[in-house]
Amino acid sequence: MRKVGVFVCHCGNNIAGAVEVERVTEALRSYPGVAYSIDYLYVCSDPGQDLIKEAIAERDLDGVVVAACSPVMHETTFRRTVAAAGLNPYLCEVANIREQCSWVHRDDIERATLKATQIIETIVEKVRHDEPLLPLAMSLVRRALIIGGGIAGLQAASDIAAAGYGVILVEREEGVGGRMAQLSGTYLNFDSTVDLLREKIEAVTRNPHVTVLTRAQVEELGGYLGDFKVKVRRQGNDEEYEVGAIVVATGYELYPQEWLSEYGGERYPDVIDGLEFERMLSPTGPTGGEIRCPSDGRVPQEVVFVQCAGSRDPERGVAYCSKICCMYTAKQAMMYKMQVPQGQAYIFYIDIRALGKGYEEFTQRGMEEHRVLYLRGKVSKVFPQDGKMMVWGADTLSGKGVEVAADLVVLATPMVPSAGAFELARKLRVATDKHGFFSEAHPKLRPVESLTPGVYLAGACQAPKDIPEAVAQGSAAAAKVLSLFSQEKITHDPIVAVVDSELCAGCGICVEVCPYEAREIHPLTKIAVVKEVLCQGCGACLVACPNKASQLRNFTPTQVMAMIGALV
Amino acid sequence: MVIGGGISGMQAALDIADSGYEVVLVERLPSIGGRMAQLSETFPTLDCAQCILTPRTVEVGHHEKIKLATYSEVEEVGGHLGDFRVKVRRKPAYVDWERCTGCGLCQEKCLWQVPSDFERGIGKRKAIYALSPQAVPNKPVIDREHCVYFQKEGKCGACAKFCPVEAIDFQQKEEIWEEQVGAIVVATGYDLYPMERLSEYGGGHYPDVIDSLQFERLLSASGPTAGEIRRPSDGAVPKEVVFVQCAGSRDPERGVAYCSQICCMYTAKQALLYKHKVHHGQAYVFYIDIRAGGKGYEEFVQRAMEEGVLYLRGKVSKIFPQNGKVMVWGADTLSGKRVEIAADLVVLATAILPSQGTSDLAEKLRIKIGESGFYEEAHPQVRPIESGAPGIYLAGAGQGPKDIPEAVAQGSAAAAKVLALFASEVPP
Repeated sequence: MRKVGVFVCHCGNNIAGAVEVERVTEALRSYPGVAYSIDYLYVCSDPGQDLIKEAIAERDLDGVVVAACSPVMHETTFRRTVAAAGLNPYLCEVANIREQCSWVHRDDIERATLKATQIIETIVEKVRHDEPLLPLAMSLVRRALIIGGGIAGLQAASDIAAAGYGVILVEREEGVGGRMAQLSGTYLNFDSTVDLLREKIEAVTRNPHVTVLTRAQVEELGGYLGDFKVKVRRQGNDEEYEVGAIVVATGYELYPQEWLSEYGGERYPDVIDGLEFERMLSPTGPTGGEIRCPSDGRVPQEVVFVQCAGSRDPERGVAYCSKICCMYTAKQAMMYKMQVPQGQAYIFYIDIRALGKGYEEFTQRGMEEHRVLYLRGKVSKVFPQDGKMMVWGADTLSGKGVEVAADLVVLATPMVPSAGAFELARKLRVATDKHGFFSEAHPKLRPVESLTPGVYLAGACQAPKDIPEAVAQGSAAAAKVLSLFSQEKITHDPIVAVVDSELCAGCGICVEVCPYEAREIHPLTKIAVVKEVLCQGCGACLVACPNKASQLRNFTPTQVMAMIGALV
Repeated sequence: MVIGGGISGMQAALDIADSGYEVVLVERLPSIGGRMAQLSETFPTLDCAQCILTPRTVEVGHHEKIKLATYSEVEEVGGHLGDFRVKVRRKPAYVDWERCTGCGLCQEKCLWQVPSDFERGIGKRKAIYALSPQAVPNKPVIDREHCVYFQKEGKCGACAKFCPVEAIDFQQKEEIWEEQVGAIVVATGYDLYPMERLSEYGGGHYPDVIDSLQFERLLSASGPTAGEIRRPSDGAVPKEVVFVQCAGSRDPERGVAYCSQICCMYTAKQALLYKHKVHHGQAYVFYIDIRAGGKGYEEFVQRAMEEGVLYLRGKVSKIFPQNGKVMVWGADTLSGKRVEIAADLVVLATAILPSQGTSDLAEKLRIKIGESGFYEEAHPQVRPIESGAPGIYLAGAGQGPKDIPEAVAQGSAAAAKVLALFASEVPP
């Protein structure tokens, strides 16, 4: 029979204000299996933790229940405390009597006290049947795979390699550099992207720890955090690599112009997209940096820039904002005016989203110094007439329709995930949102982690973002990888599913429901097997199993029934 | 060393400490958490800020590699990359934190109430106080200016009488010590533009004209109204609330030519939360451009509009009290007409400024400040995290206005720079 100690926390007034802690403690003292029960002002404080350690030693406890706040807050703390006293940490559980009791029942002390007692009793029942567990050891290959050689991927690669770890950088194209290599210059300072990029590329290619694989794609992925097995197809051949972590940095592409029928659907040579205009502005581009109409090579005297050419348009399936267009359009219009000072640049916009340091000032400069004409409204139609491109739009500020006979029209088309991102996401077992962008683990606090352990995200594959943000994310993803690689050994929580081989019929339902691919039917025994390091202990298999052969460690039916028994 | 215990600094500290290196986290306030601890719920998911923040503050507080130096500031910085010598000054808390158990009895017994900075002046605290019940560390400090014991030569002392562990120490002195560190992450965050300087919006004289952080405290379940929207003047539930964006921002004449970046989104959130709490109330938002540029942000603003928040494109020219209401004069540039609203409450999305002391700290660290007063990065596109001074990195809103996910990403990014640096120092 287990000897359980119960430690009831006042949490200052947080719990004691609604729950009569002393009465709870007294009630628990006579509960079956409880060998010791005491209350304390703050069990999480150092003296509070000492109280637990002393009680374990003096009273020979082999189970501990701390009745306090949510286990999210302090489960780790208390498990560490009991471990320090020589007890298996999984024999310590937290009963939540704050968030789930005192905080929500401030007005009824009597019933809150009763409820707190019952919550603790259920957890005592659980502890009585808890098994001592050991964390599962996992292997750790200290080498990273970066998928995508754009600015975000390059940044991640160079930061990881700078710390001395091996990096394999897989890039689909002939060379690294990504979209940034296609650009003319950056906004704010018109710095040459080629120059800025060269430094980054050299930092990666010259580092002996980095292997750059171009014209290569990830074909298959097996394994898990710390020990992934990747099959890369390079120039027709398959190669296998072992890596411990993966950074996805597959970037973006532009929405196809063909789908924008009201803007010509790519039928008119003088209607181009933002990246095509970048190539025209670039000294290394087809025109050597000179702005010319593609139709006849003349210098355009009137250029219309159309923002949100597809973005912010739920009917087109692109309800989101592409974030970078306001700024690159401002830059493009300014570069046009610098090259063709007598020309006129018009920008149709809905909102000017100058979201970054110095961005607002930059768009103001475009308006004031370069006389770029901003028109607030959408463009309804673009069509050719007498050698010009007619642009029909609205000016919502004057409330009038606007018609411009332009020489060149530049469409700021939406950013969409790069081709193949969805298939890649499936191979990596990473979730995507409805637009196909990779989903982060938490939109606020875990922006560069995916929900798949060991797979991190950087750059525009996660959502539209500009260069500084992509660079910051590249470094941030590198931090996650470095932090992982610095561990001496990695372990996995042992609260995982197990299969009772006597009960399993090998029906395979659990294989289908497992969201982590942690299940398979053994080829010889024909019963279900749990791949423990992939199992996240979610319990989906328990519910699905018709024979109750699937169980979760320390959440066994015996335990759950005993816990319910304590309540009824 | 990480300077600043907000979300960005905490992230940097955790990533570095999780890699096995020691971190000293210096925070000016008595506890960590920064601005995020003051927020109600976060856009675009409406997660409760406290609920997602507290596990982080607890993790930082318990991390064996992180040494917390709260209620402390950087006094002097010497040395160089790999070997900085930083003098840290800890203000006297007048409480022995080694003894204190954080029971809160002293705060309960203290008789003297003063407006709380944490509550942005719309709530009160005692002369001995911790920032919140979930504060990390959860230890109080005595505000000498408002403590009767200090002001009236030893009278009162209620806290000392009731403290069960004799932790009150009126004789405590400030402490200065030196830390030797290899790299520094600067994550000192932001302040809001003072309302006093917005004379056309009442200059802080009208109780029912508040700033956005005050409104966050009104929305917060742990705030002074327990999450009920009550206007400060008379506690009435406001039926018409006007949100004024760009209250100071994008206004070169005021010296804030820049866009504060986060106001469009938090205003949409605040207006939506107001509508959730006061179903029949009307929320108006005055804006110049709606800048919803993050993942799911555009959709979030659309949702606010669909749920009945009224957006008016134009600036507000004047706010003044009339017959118990707050009159708002503005323009609607889309209809070309003037708009006049008799509001019960006005919320100003005031400009984001670098936090107080930013330029002093920059001087001590010998790093550059840009013309807007924020720390200057080495290159705006390709080196956004580096300060230009070797071994000193930037994270969060001290470098320029930014929202939580960006501040978190920058915190991690700064950590990557530190980790790469430390790894390269290990002898082969």
